[in-house]
Amino acid sequence: MTIGAVGAFTARFAGNQTATALLGANKLRDDWNAAGLAVKSQSFGRETLSRFLENKLGVAASIVVVLLFLSAIFAPFLTPYDPLVGVPTDRLFNIGTPGHILGTDEQGRDMLARVLYGGRLSLLAGFIPTVVAAVVGTAIGVTAGMVRGAVGTVLMRFMDMLYAFPAILLAIAVGASLGPGLNNTIIAVTIVFVPPVARVAESATRRVVVQEFVEAAHLSGASKLRIARSQILPNVLNDIIVYASGLVGIAMLTAASLSFLGLGAAPPAPEWGYMLNSLRGSIYVAPLVVVVPGFFIFLTTVAFNLASDALREAMDSRL
Amino acid sequence: MLRITMRRVGLAIPILFGVSIIVFLLMNVLPGSPEAGLVGEDASAAERERIRDSLGLNDPLPIRYGSWLLNALQGDLGFSTQRQREVSDLLMQAWGNTAILATVSALFGLSVGLWLGYVAGTRRGKLVDKFVSVISLAGLSIPSFFLAIVLLAVFAGGLKMFPSGGATFDDGIGTALSSLVLPVFSGALVTLAITARVTRASIVDVYSADFVETLRAKGLNEFEVRMHILRNAISPVLTTSGVQIGALLGGSVLVETIFRWPGMGLLIFNAISARDLQVVQGATLLIAVTFVIINLLVDLLQAALDPRVRGALT
Amino acid sequence: MMTPVTPIGGPTPLLELSNVSKEFVVHDAGKRATLSAVNQVSLSVKPGTTMGVVGESGCGKSTLARLIVGLHGMTGGEMSFDGAPLPKSGKRPAHVVKQMQMVFQDPSSALNPRATVGESIGFPLSVQGASRKVIAERVTQVISDVGLPANYAGNYPHQLSGGQRQRVNIARALALQPKLIVLDEAVSALDKSIQAQVLNLLKDLQEEYKLTYVFISHDLNVVEYMSDEVTVMYLGQVVERSPADRLYENPQHPYSRLLLSSIPSLDPAESTRDTAMDQGSGEIPSPINPPSGCRFRTRCPFAMDVCATESPEQVHAEPGHAVACHLFEEGVPEEVRLSA
Repeated sequence: MTIGAVGAFTARFAGNQTATALLGANKLRDDWNAAGLAVKSQSFGRETLSRFLENKLGVAASIVVVLLFLSAIFAPFLTPYDPLVGVPTDRLFNIGTPGHILGTDEQGRDMLARVLYGGRLSLLAGFIPTVVAAVVGTAIGVTAGMVRGAVGTVLMRFMDMLYAFPAILLAIAVGASLGPGLNNTIIAVTIVFVPPVARVAESATRRVVVQEFVEAAHLSGASKLRIARSQILPNVLNDIIVYASGLVGIAMLTAASLSFLGLGAAPPAPEWGYMLNSLRGSIYVAPLVVVVPGFFIFLTTVAFNLASDALREAMDSRL
Repeated sequence: MLRITMRRVGLAIPILFGVSIIVFLLMNVLPGSPEAGLVGEDASAAERERIRDSLGLNDPLPIRYGSWLLNALQGDLGFSTQRQREVSDLLMQAWGNTAILATVSALFGLSVGLWLGYVAGTRRGKLVDKFVSVISLAGLSIPSFFLAIVLLAVFAGGLKMFPSGGATFDDGIGTALSSLVLPVFSGALVTLAITARVTRASIVDVYSADFVETLRAKGLNEFEVRMHILRNAISPVLTTSGVQIGALLGGSVLVETIFRWPGMGLLIFNAISARDLQVVQGATLLIAVTFVIINLLVDLLQAALDPRVRGALT
Repeated sequence: MMTPVTPIGGPTPLLELSNVSKEFVVHDAGKRATLSAVNQVSLSVKPGTTMGVVGESGCGKSTLARLIVGLHGMTGGEMSFDGAPLPKSGKRPAHVVKQMQMVFQDPSSALNPRATVGESIGFPLSVQGASRKVIAERVTQVISDVGLPANYAGNYPHQLSGGQRQRVNIARALALQPKLIVLDEAVSALDKSIQAQVLNLLKDLQEEYKLTYVFISHDLNVVEYMSDEVTVMYLGQVVERSPADRLYENPQHPYSRLLLSSIPSLDPAESTRDTAMDQGSGEIPSPINPPSGCRFRTRCPFAMDVCATESPEQVHAEPGHAVACHLFEEGVPEEVRLSA
């Protein structure tokens, strides 16, 4: 038995004076340090990334997401056709027609071009509302979580009232009152997303705010704003990112739904949801062509959902 | 339990007020003049003013809200310019149809989702589990209107197995029921997917808990153990079920439009196209109020079933 | 009303509390009620010494700790630091903030999981406006003071053991070069062998930097080891205060005797078991509705009628050793007092 172990054993039964004598605390401390417990410091980002990369499905989905992005950005290079102008005599060519690999729509516009350019609109409609709602929702939620009393309650009550609507219905109602147009759709979806994000932010903030390190920060004389920024926010961001990443797919679906109902991007914009609606009537003539925009909505949503699921797993299983 | 009920009902009332305010603001404050539906494009400014006055549109906002709310509580939700009927009339007709569709969809989606989730949760990692995951993912990612179009084309158009439009009970029970199949399936797939996911996660939590082993050791047969597991796992499922029903109600706008099902969804869709805002307002309000009430009932049901929830709510 | 007890001779106290009280408004089963967490507490701490505060959970020690450092505002009473009075509540002047710091109990929740050790320690300095160079120097200095290798500054709390994290907490408390450090159960969450190390570290630091400690704990052994003077608290009130060695040799207040009678020991000769106190009943009353008069009377085998009507004043049993108990006022028979 080493000196240290005997000391520890004794400490349990005989009171600290004996223990200290046996332990020779200072010497033990130096020994411990000398043993070189050099732990390699890894940042949180790197840990998450390595865990994310282990999930093969997530990686595959992310690749699809990247491809979608790239195809949307480089659309002009990927197709010679104008997505907005069609040759009326070339309407409703089926898939696989030479020169129009995905066929043409009811106005003779090339489907591949429509889909690629439409990707831009869908991605915009997916990301902008999510990001804006994340920022606004976090601000509201963290404020409500930190500031007890009237302000916090009022904010969250207001969120509750928006929350009391089924999401799609609220989006449709806002879209209906704002009128058609992609901008209005984006605004509508943003409004619908702010309350759930605020809720997540608020409950996460409440959990963090009672921790002792926040008290310690108060003790240093830091202002509430500083504490919110440096102590609360980094600890809350995890939950919010995990939640918000799952919203992108829903945003795209919702925007597509609104377009389908005629509330989204105005024709002849190649928004996928709108395309589904305008092609609907031709389903018996060229069924596969009608499927094309729907399929792309599906593919994009699946890819985003899988990627965000993988992100969630990579971020959650820590701390 | 009574106290919890009173508290929850008490909490619901301001929310209902808030909902009505939001609906009112959406339809009356944001751009799009309400009198546009009544007045032609080239009416003079004086004409417009006269119509606005007669509709009370020039009164201050709180008064307009107040009078609208008072009327609404008495059943008067305005007049549809497009259909030339009382809004409440239209709603009453449409309400029943949507209720039928939503209820059947909810029952289908929740029960199948529950079953699939249970199966997946208890056979974690096996083929069945993966299969259910795939179905869930697909269900979450397919837009309901896309699925509806495809189903319509394949089964109603191509195979002619189901009717393509909404039918009422006047056409005979058989036709009525079969006309439900496609819309229900389109709408309920999302519910199914989400319910399956939530159930699976909840079952996985409960299944591995120590007390399950204890139950088996005490000699309970599999069926009884299963019941115990379900009872403990049901709480999160109940929570989502409320939200899912809301999603079905909201999503009715899409599904009913495609299947021409004469419910509130179709009503809203047509009203939006015609800028008939009174109808949009009334229908939105009705759906939102229903949603709040359903959530209230779900909360109370949860509190009744799960003592932990009861404790948290007191 | 408790009269503050002036220490016998010596320098002016660094920290002085006079009849400090703190009440919280709580909801007890749906009704609003007042929780009296700290009631008429007076104590005085000499510079360079350690004042131990001991008591069971619920006695108000943690609230007292937070009152001292200003995390809670006082509902009543006065507090002064280094001769100058402190505001009842609200923000304190910067120089006070710098001179009074606290070490928290739970090593895990006391450190921001998303900040490195260096960032956590440097945060107080950064808030007080120190330059980056000064912060870096001070952090390095303080990390080595607590016995951790300098390269630990880049690590995250979850990479450290409990004892190491607590050292980081101490380092953070030292960062601003305070005069007074309040330690709220600073070692209670650590294993016994680590406790000894950390306690000795604290003692070394006290000597090196002339620190004053308020050391709060429920562990009597630890308090005895660390303290010069000890204050015993029960249900928000001070029941006894004395130099540390005198308390353990000769506890006066019935509650102190109860506490000390429950220290287990393998050595029968060291047994502090007080057979008379064994008859005391078990449950601690709630601070929401504390017993009238002396709050300990419901568990006190020597309770008298006066204990229910009047709260006892502090009386000197011997120099420097004060007790708040009716048994010790004049006129109580010797037999009762000495029936230990």
